[in-house]
Amino acid sequence: MNSIFERHPEQDLVRYLDGELSTRRSRQVASHLENCGRCRAELEEFQVAVADCANYRNVLVAQTPEAPAPWRDLYRDFSRIDEALANNSLLVRLMRPLVHSGVPRWAFLAGLAVLIVLLSLNQLRQAPSVQAATLLRKAVAVSQSQPHPARRIRVRSSRQPEFTRMSGAQAAILEVAQAQAVAAMFQRANWDWNDPLSARAFDQWRDRQVHKTDEVTAVKDPAEPSEHLTQIRTTSPDGEVEAASITLNTDDYEAVSERLEFRDQEWVELSEIAGTSTESAGGTGVSSVEAPVRAAEPPSRPAAFTPGSSASISDEIQVLSALSEIGADLGDPVNVELAGGKVKVTGPAEIPAHRQEEIRASVASLPYVEVAFTSLPPAQAPSVASTVSASSVSAVNSPLETRLEKHLGGHAALERFSNELLDLDDAAMQRVYALHRLAQKFSPAEEASLSPKDRAALHELSRKHTAVLASKLDGMGSILNPALSALGGTAASVPTASQTGWQPAANDLVRSASDLDKLISQMLAMTPGNPSPSDLMTAWGELRANLDRCRQALK
Amino acid sequence: MAQLYTETREDVYRYLLTLGVHPPKAQEAVQEVFLRLYTSLKKGEKIESLRGWVFRVAHNYGLKVRARQSSEEKFDPAFETRLMSPSANAERDLLDREKMSRLNTAVEGLSEQQKRVLFLRMEGLRYPEIASTLGISASAVGEFLRRALLRLKKVRDE
Repeated sequence: MNSIFERHPEQDLVRYLDGELSTRRSRQVASHLENCGRCRAELEEFQVAVADCANYRNVLVAQTPEAPAPWRDLYRDFSRIDEALANNSLLVRLMRPLVHSGVPRWAFLAGLAVLIVLLSLNQLRQAPSVQAATLLRKAVAVSQSQPHPARRIRVRSSRQPEFTRMSGAQAAILEVAQAQAVAAMFQRANWDWNDPLSARAFDQWRDRQVHKTDEVTAVKDPAEPSEHLTQIRTTSPDGEVEAASITLNTDDYEAVSERLEFRDQEWVELSEIAGTSTESAGGTGVSSVEAPVRAAEPPSRPAAFTPGSSASISDEIQVLSALSEIGADLGDPVNVELAGGKVKVTGPAEIPAHRQEEIRASVASLPYVEVAFTSLPPAQAPSVASTVSASSVSAVNSPLETRLEKHLGGHAALERFSNELLDLDDAAMQRVYALHRLAQKFSPAEEASLSPKDRAALHELSRKHTAVLASKLDGMGSILNPALSALGGTAASVPTASQTGWQPAANDLVRSASDLDKLISQMLAMTPGNPSPSDLMTAWGELRANLDRCRQALK
Repeated sequence: MAQLYTETREDVYRYLLTLGVHPPKAQEAVQEVFLRLYTSLKKGEKIESLRGWVFRVAHNYGLKVRARQSSEEKFDPAFETRLMSPSANAERDLLDREKMSRLNTAVEGLSEQQKRVLFLRMEGLRYPEIASTLGISASAVGEFLRRALLRLKKVRDE
């Protein structure tokens, strides 16, 4: 086409000048300019205007009134941030979700000051916002450290008749037309529609709210009135969503239902349809009743010694060992799967780049490995927060905590006690979940088909976790038991289970570890509840016994 | 990071002044933005253009600060009087000064959005960065910029 007869590209001249046109369009404009004096002249005028602007800017730079104060040396603040991120003081641990949510430093300090006041009122951990943040942090951590099941979710809303959908990344592909209106609502709220009913999605939304108010309440499970659930309700004066609430299973922090209320009176309710979870968390759930989306490609495992060019279980165990070397089986949301003749290592792109590199490097020398980090829909960049959430202080109380404080000799001692205990508990839970994942991956039948060498490697991997777990548990015991028995607690004897292999023992381990974790949270008034010293001692004893059983089986 | 802070703080500060934020607040905001940047990087967030990020966050912050100072007056950097002040421009010849003053008047006459696009462009931001700062599309950035330059061109021709 002859460019002379083309419409004059006046609209695109500035873009052309700034190099912001596509290569193709840029070439078209260039060839038009060659033949069109009028546009060339116009381009020149724009060039002059841009140059004027550059001069003008220089003048402004010279004329800008000086900043009223000398610029602060931010280095000191940087190291304070480092400290705050690394410091494990209970206060910081509890406030960490706020730091991460992008609350500015001064607001963080203001929040800290408020908390210190609360501390002196002995109501530290009852601030609902802190409670909510802690609960969500736990729930997100638990969901990331466990195999993520596909679930069937019931969706009710002001827009659409009720329908159901599967959660998980594959869900989008199966999206039914009727879901679109609701999907649009979620998009509007910038809420991850691929995994809408999750602590992670809720936490991401909550993090973005600047002026939020939280409420944490214990509610009855409508399906099983004897069971209690924990509900977090967050309201926000800004944004599309006016209020959102999430209900978590008190035992395993799994999200069971959720409600979003939009500012324009629209609403959506999501609830898990019981019994559709494909994996039971800690053995409390029900096994699958229908084929989940994830089962679309059942990983048919090749026999251990398959010769030729595809991966075998041996390779998978090697990959698992390599990842374990760098601690990638402790909390990193990384999944290992044997499928299509490859050992597939997958994880979300949200894993920090340097960590992705470490993970890639750790398995780089192994055969048939495929590593992929796929991105979830991008979360909107958080706007700059300007105030710390103003939450009313509810007076949830843990009588046991009060007694402990008295026994230990004051608040500082209680805080030290809590810190040490929570650190050990976090480390222990990581090991428990890592072990549980191995137990789920390699059933007793599967293990029987392994070669002696592979079986030894698998046991070695598992033993590493049980050894660390044992030391953490003993540490917890040495902190917990003396204090609790001084308060009159005794450990009930634990019935000895019949010996059935390390996998069932690992399942029991998850259950008893979650029990203890829950009781510790209640004891330290992080979640509602009123456990007795004996409850805690018994739970610890049971966990220790399950661990011993597991270690025995791994010998 | 330290280099970025030293190189960019004045630019961001000036941009906030043009948004109408008062100098002490603007300075505070700039420092806050860099602390936020540091925290984000520490947390492993991947940021493609640091300069773009800083302006975007500063812009949002600036608007919030300005909204809160609504009872007070919008800050006027009064570049006009500064430009015309002979002491500040002793070395600058009269013609040049007059030209800049006319340009300044023309810039003042631009729409709010045109002005913002122009200032961000003058700070060396690319269209997609400007677009995400202002929450508009990259082609809208091109169009605002084109109209702004047309206005300035016209003033020059007068």
